[in-house]
Amino acid sequence: MAPKYKLTYFDARGRGEPTRLIFAAAGVEFEDNRLTFEEWPAIKPTTPMGGLPLLEVDGVTLCQSLAIARFAARDVGLAGKSNLEQAQADMFVDEISELLPKMAGLFFEKDEAVKAEKQKEVEELIVKTYTILEKLSGSAGYLVGNRLLWCDLIFFNIASNVENLKPGTVQNYPKLAKSYENVKLNSRIAAYLAKRKETPF
Amino acid sequence: MPTYKLTYFNSRGRAEISRLLFAAGGVKYEDVRLDREQWQQLKPQTPMGHLPILEVDGTMICQSKAIARLIAKDIGMAGKTPLEQAQADMICDSLEEFGEKMLLFLREKDENKKEELKKEFEEKTLPAALDQFEKLASAEGYFAGSSLTWADVSFFAIYNFIDILMPGDHLKRYVNLSKVMGNVSSNPGIAKWLKERPESAF
Repeated sequence: MAPKYKLTYFDARGRGEPTRLIFAAAGVEFEDNRLTFEEWPAIKPTTPMGGLPLLEVDGVTLCQSLAIARFAARDVGLAGKSNLEQAQADMFVDEISELLPKMAGLFFEKDEAVKAEKQKEVEELIVKTYTILEKLSGSAGYLVGNRLLWCDLIFFNIASNVENLKPGTVQNYPKLAKSYENVKLNSRIAAYLAKRKETPF
Repeated sequence: MPTYKLTYFNSRGRAEISRLLFAAGGVKYEDVRLDREQWQQLKPQTPMGHLPILEVDGTMICQSKAIARLIAKDIGMAGKTPLEQAQADMICDSLEEFGEKMLLFLREKDENKKEELKKEFEEKTLPAALDQFEKLASAEGYFAGSSLTWADVSFFAIYNFIDILMPGDHLKRYVNLSKVMGNVSSNPGIAKWLKERPESAF
């Protein structure tokens, strides 16, 4: 029987990885459809908003990476127990996701002088964001409440990229570091990461 | 119902979606409006350092969409099924991206560049966005399912800024979107709020 979910994205982590991590953490099978850049132009006009990722489920096609990830999280029980807990998780996801466009901009910048300037901006934004998240986060080893939720996975995903940029960053933030470690140590995530294909982004 | 306290500036901005939702749900809340000086004093005491903030029984939530989604869920306007909720989320994410493009020319300090960006927004970005949203709205005038959700209210809230920045009947040829606007403005709670809400430029 075909998996219930079909995720379509490029052959990269990027905006597809949050949902892959969520399915991995829950041990849920899904079709991991990876497009080449050559295939994309033909598919683009068939999508709801001209972008990736997409999640097809029960005949419906969803887009917008965080809407997809939140739906997946909810479906597999990683969104949070109450409306309030879910809102706290959403808040973390939105705060941490503000880093994404700046980090992507830095990653793809070719001009060395501009890159140096962007690097400085990104590092400042990381400090600002991590300081906010550290103050907001819970003390039980997870960002919200006392168990792994999708916000921990989203944080882990972006924080891994930050560690590539500046190793040791997360260690300066004790509560965030705990969440980061707990995700890394989660047996399903550890297994997923061990098998995961290396991609530049 | 929990106790709600919404804190923002004395403007619509990123808080109005929440105020509209409270109105639609007939939910009482404390509508705190700070001036710049009050905010400068409060800011260092807040964990997140930006507004709006929603306090729910003492728990602080920030990020305007997280706040709006919570209120929407509490009043039953988030979407009737998980898929509908995802569809509402999708629209709201896309509306936020659209809003960011609007902010690009609003924030531009150079007058000439500002005019250029505004022209590009009005002639290219806006029609392209409206074309897309028209396709995603149903003929009954809903973005998700067949009843009002926060996605419809979010569209209404953002369109208000378009109306101010570039007056004109931009929705004239968009049948579905015009229906969305009608569905939102005729919601009794929202209609009342629109008449009574404090005046502000933005």
